[in-house]
Amino acid sequence: MLDQAGSWDAVTAGVVLSRIGRLPGIRFFTPAEEATATALCDRLLGQDSEPKVAVVPQIDARLAERQTDGWHYADMPEDGQAWRSSLRFLDEDSQDACARDFAQAPAEDQRAILQAVQDLGSKDWHGLNAAHVWSLWTRYACTAFYAHPSAWNEIGFPGPAYPRGYKNAGVDSREPYEVADAYPADDPVRRKEN
Amino acid sequence: MTPALVTTVRERNESAWLLPNDGSRTNHRLRADMRRFADSDMVDLVVVGCGAGGSTMLQRLARRGWRVAGLDAGPFWDPDTDWVSDEAGSHHLYWTEPRVISGSDPVPLGSNNSGRGVGGSMVHYAGYTPRFHPSDFATWTNDGVGADWPLRYADLRPYYEQIEQELPVAGDDWPWGDPHSYPQRPHPVGGNGEIFLRGAYASGITAKVGPVAIANGRFGNRPHCIYRGFCLQGCKVNAKASPLITHIPDALAHGAEVRANAMVTGIGFDERTGRATGVHYIMHGTPRFQRAAAVAVAGYSIETPRLLLNSASRRFPDGMCNDFDQVGRYLMVQGAPQTAGRFDAEVRMYKSPPPEVSSEQFYETDPAKPYKRGFSIQTVSPLPITWAEHVAAQGHWGTGLRQYMSDYVHWSCLGALCEFLAQPDNRVTLAGEKDRYGLPVANFAYSQCDNDKRLIRAAQGVMEQILHAAGADEVITIDRYAHLVGGARMAADERHGVVDRNCRSFAVPNLYITDGSVLPTQGSANPALTIMANAARVADQLTGSSR
Repeated sequence: MLDQAGSWDAVTAGVVLSRIGRLPGIRFFTPAEEATATALCDRLLGQDSEPKVAVVPQIDARLAERQTDGWHYADMPEDGQAWRSSLRFLDEDSQDACARDFAQAPAEDQRAILQAVQDLGSKDWHGLNAAHVWSLWTRYACTAFYAHPSAWNEIGFPGPAYPRGYKNAGVDSREPYEVADAYPADDPVRRKEN
Repeated sequence: MTPALVTTVRERNESAWLLPNDGSRTNHRLRADMRRFADSDMVDLVVVGCGAGGSTMLQRLARRGWRVAGLDAGPFWDPDTDWVSDEAGSHHLYWTEPRVISGSDPVPLGSNNSGRGVGGSMVHYAGYTPRFHPSDFATWTNDGVGADWPLRYADLRPYYEQIEQELPVAGDDWPWGDPHSYPQRPHPVGGNGEIFLRGAYASGITAKVGPVAIANGRFGNRPHCIYRGFCLQGCKVNAKASPLITHIPDALAHGAEVRANAMVTGIGFDERTGRATGVHYIMHGTPRFQRAAAVAVAGYSIETPRLLLNSASRRFPDGMCNDFDQVGRYLMVQGAPQTAGRFDAEVRMYKSPPPEVSSEQFYETDPAKPYKRGFSIQTVSPLPITWAEHVAAQGHWGTGLRQYMSDYVHWSCLGALCEFLAQPDNRVTLAGEKDRYGLPVANFAYSQCDNDKRLIRAAQGVMEQILHAAGADEVITIDRYAHLVGGARMAADERHGVVDRNCRSFAVPNLYITDGSVLPTQGSANPALTIMANAARVADQLTGSSR
């Protein structure tokens, strides 16, 4: 992916490459919140070992700079406060489950705590609508992760396409720089059925 | 387009020829030389918002010699320096000022349906520009749902034709609604369009390529589309139409001013004459007031009602033009379920504009079905972040999410637009919360009715059928919404709407609303073309020009 950066326009290259280099320092989250958010995002994104995409600095930057989507559900506070509160509630759940903060809990326990939140659907979780909390977490985490070139490599997305564009659209057509799926028969649907 | 038609279009609107032809995208000279009015100048008309409705008004009226200024809360975009080929890096294209969403089916705003800056939402719309059908103008008479417009399809048809030429629109000959042709031939399709066409054919459904406001071939100084797939991030090529390149250049050349980064906070009102006097706005932190002989509000369905509600006075204690509690009501979104299918072949849906192929076969009321009105189906082709949202909506997270996502190149994705019905309680009110200017923000409440819910499931069924017929092994659906219209609708009288058929407010004789908020119904068509066509019609009415 990055070896194609020479074909991108300068403004786009600046934006994408800024995610590769030095990341901004944490400004919004407290150290405790940063720890909880890191564990939360690692579990949500299945980042269980290195190398990892650093998503929390990107989320922190958006919240510090108020680069939110603007809207919030009437039954939720604005996004910054919703993040702070929900991270604290995760620590509370973790203390109840295993007498440790969420970030200190074993990954298995972290997953169980998150699964319990997801299983609530739209029911109440510490005074918040659990589905709206889940949506907040996954929206921010997925936006940060799938903005990163290493995630694009993983899914076969070739990234920016200006001014080059595409010449070979159509089913089973590839550009010279596109790579075929390394595991074409690995279909998550069929794996589920087997 | 024939050379003769191109000449006619150029005589009406020279925008495409006022752009540079040297590979850059912005005519900086035109902007530097732009006419600039003083706040104390009495302009003939001040327009609030330079999107689909506002920009069309500016261009048409400037052409007729009116002294017009357009104020926009966002920037005057330069595609070269302000836009990128990147999803997360395009966040600044959306209206992200605070808003509250409520109701039993709250509608997320921001990235999906709210634009910012000159060009408005058309900067990041996909590019679909279908016409409304004749039936859309009389759904109450025909079906007992929605509302009748105070005008007919025939009143808009000549303006549809004009705007289709000016954008220009490319597509197959169109068999639905009022059958018509497009000025440009359809674009070649990519993998996703190919799947839709194949699946539709196999299941006996008619699908057509287009209608898409993307230049197919050079148009003026606008180059051909390069099929890079980032239409929703702002077109860096100048191939996809938005008013920034289709109407604003000609407006400037004819003496209009576009004042960017000017957030309008209230409409001035004279208690003695009962007329609007101009607009209060904030620019670089300084409150200012632009005098005007008339005001046209074109801030779209959330901000237009909010501005009226925030413009209270002794005469209008509950907000301007709100004598009968009509402001903010009958706001509509379209139900937009998105269904994806997985194929063994590589589809690579990102490699082409997301708007490719559509079907309006299910647009009209089918007496055999347990619902009124209908839906359309279109290719959508989400990029990685929006695709992750689709996959995460299935409940996947952790390693499961990553595995699903790693199959991205194998998925094809269709979207439906379901005609949700206008309801009085789907509306904008003022929330307790305030923005950075100290103004109450909008609270947008939405609840679906039974007809809405039935349409969503019916549309999902048809999309699943098409994808299976094309060979998909699994299909997954995410429920979402698209577009906004209504909120200050046109009606026959002041007890049923905010403006009359010429978009003049019932309550203030020199106040107009010329955006999507005046639409009484929405069909299952993307609204941009209709908003522009209606604004062009209103401009003709204002200047007394007959076509």
